[in-house]
Amino acid sequence: MTAIPASRTGRAVPRVATYVALSVAAFVSVFPFIWMVISSTNTSIDIIKGKATFGSAFSNNVANFFAQVDVPLVFWNSAKVAILATLLTIAVSSLAGYGFEMFRSKMRDRLYSLVLLTLMVPFAALMIPLFMMMGKAGLINTHIAILLPTVASAFIIFYFRQATKAFPTELRDAAKVDGLKEWQIFLYIYVPVMRSTYAAAFVIVFMMNWNNYLWPLIVLQSNDTKTITLVVSSLASAYYPDFGVVMIGTILATLPTLLVFFVMQRQFVAGMLGSVK
Amino acid sequence: MHFQRMSKSFAAVALAGTSFFAATAAFAGEITVWCWDPNFNVAIMKEAGARYTAKHPETTLNIVDFAKADVEQKLQTALTSGTTDALPDIVLIEDYGAQKYLQSFPGAFASMSDTVDYSGFAPYKVKLMTVDDQVYGMPFDSGVTGLYYRKDYLEQAGFKPSDMQDITWDRFIEIGKVVEEKTGKKMLGLDMTDAGFTRILMQSAGQWYFDAEGNLSIENNTALKAALETQQKILKANIHKPAAGWTDWVGTFTSGDVATVTSGVWITGTVKAQADQSGKWGVAPLPSLGIEGATHASNLGGSSWYVVESSPEKKEAIDFLNEVYAKDVPFYQDILTTRGAVGSLMAARTGDAYMLADPFFGGEKVWQNFSDWLSKVPPVNYGIFTNEVDTAVTAHLPSLAQGADIATVLKEIQSQAEGQIQ
Repeated sequence: MTAIPASRTGRAVPRVATYVALSVAAFVSVFPFIWMVISSTNTSIDIIKGKATFGSAFSNNVANFFAQVDVPLVFWNSAKVAILATLLTIAVSSLAGYGFEMFRSKMRDRLYSLVLLTLMVPFAALMIPLFMMMGKAGLINTHIAILLPTVASAFIIFYFRQATKAFPTELRDAAKVDGLKEWQIFLYIYVPVMRSTYAAAFVIVFMMNWNNYLWPLIVLQSNDTKTITLVVSSLASAYYPDFGVVMIGTILATLPTLLVFFVMQRQFVAGMLGSVK
Repeated sequence: MHFQRMSKSFAAVALAGTSFFAATAAFAGEITVWCWDPNFNVAIMKEAGARYTAKHPETTLNIVDFAKADVEQKLQTALTSGTTDALPDIVLIEDYGAQKYLQSFPGAFASMSDTVDYSGFAPYKVKLMTVDDQVYGMPFDSGVTGLYYRKDYLEQAGFKPSDMQDITWDRFIEIGKVVEEKTGKKMLGLDMTDAGFTRILMQSAGQWYFDAEGNLSIENNTALKAALETQQKILKANIHKPAAGWTDWVGTFTSGDVATVTSGVWITGTVKAQADQSGKWGVAPLPSLGIEGATHASNLGGSSWYVVESSPEKKEAIDFLNEVYAKDVPFYQDILTTRGAVGSLMAARTGDAYMLADPFFGGEKVWQNFSDWLSKVPPVNYGIFTNEVDTAVTAHLPSLAQGADIATVLKEIQSQAEGQIQ
């Protein structure tokens, strides 16, 4: 009987080490958020001085932010772009992922490698040709120009193909026997079964699109089409930025992604683990 | 064929979403401007627009604000891709980068030599936007430099304001030693992560990283050499408070820890923001390097307006800039008073705001002084690669503190800069 406590104490030391390491990691990742929230309550001068306690300038900062920024319009722009881009990306890329896994052909793996190869091309290299395309199509300064290039996402295709490997082919075979067509199988069998994969993809793609900066910056030309990322960037680049106002902007810009994540957290974790229900 | 199909499907999607996707169309009479900083450039351009449209009601101004780096990124993309209809009519460009855009994209910006009387502006501002005798921009805000000093600290150390006039940096260091001994205060904040101070000193002696022909000039640059030597002397005398980065550097004087500030005139607002220090500051001419060609005037930063050659509103845009920025003296009084902006039009100094004696500076007519120095800033060639060379200089500043040999440092900067420019 003495063996059990001995092994317990033997495990306790690495466990303490694990918790210490995790706490440090948690602190490092949470600290910028804490700093952001604390700073939003301080004046710009206090923020520069590095004041790390709550101040009384919060309402003033909020008022200044709302005075300088057309908040409803900017959020409407960001939400429109992010939600539409997310839905389109998931629709197109999950179809592709499904196709790549389900249909066998000689060219399949070559085509798939080609898709993956595009992951290695940095966006900066595509930017100018894309910009010229959008210019010729007359889409400069439209929100549709932001979403079109993101819809076929190699990463999400890859993600769906990997997840589809766990999809039981028996289900598809059974559905076929029952007389369902391929699109019906996809829509009525695959999508509901893979819903946690979809949820995880939604969180990832939504974050990518909400935080998208470089491409919207290049394409958007006027104040009334700008998204929140561009507005915050503009506020922060003043000769004497009001950091209190910038903090309010970053908090508001962060909230939607946080919200999406917390709402879908359970499905997200399940989806990342690749579970099929 | 392929592209046609693609644009057709683009058009179909675009059509389907017209009610949802706002597309803005430029109509005649609207001048679009890109610039940064809502409280400075944007606000000033709005004021300029209001003055112009009051006389020309058919014109409207559409000012779009992006971050400075974003304006540059967008400008670069649109110019590189040749998509000129994606460009605004007027764009703000930082002076250090002007030659890069003018020389890399010949024909992209409109020459205004025929319309604007450039003799009315500070010569160094005109020089930086000149290529092959054509002048391409409208000079805007200046970063003319001065030596801001704490009268109270200097008085405690036994120096009168007259002791600060037209001194050399060697004398500055001597004074600094006495100030530290008598008051315990450091003479200046020194940020070794930024080459701004180095650039101020170099330009004050009429030289830059590039010679008149645009060739890299580091190893034999006597002004740069003297600028680095001066900083090494300051470090050795230990009369500086070290700062890491801009906000830290600003903190050295807002906290009252140092006796002087050397910077562009736009720092005035930050100095004056400390209301409790009112009456304690004075402004003297920049100390001189004491070498051949050395002066008491220099510049740090500043930017100017440029009109896009392919713009359908080109004529109107040039007329607008010329009417306000090249002629409207009351406009310059307004932007000085409300935004602390010092323009480059010499005639502006005749206005009320420039005549004002500022109680913060003990009743000195500081704007008249800055205006004097503005006309004396040595014109230099900012060249195409100022930012690249700046990186090389910044990388070598810390070695000054370790007592590095200046000639060796210059050689290293030269070779690193050559590598970056390739």
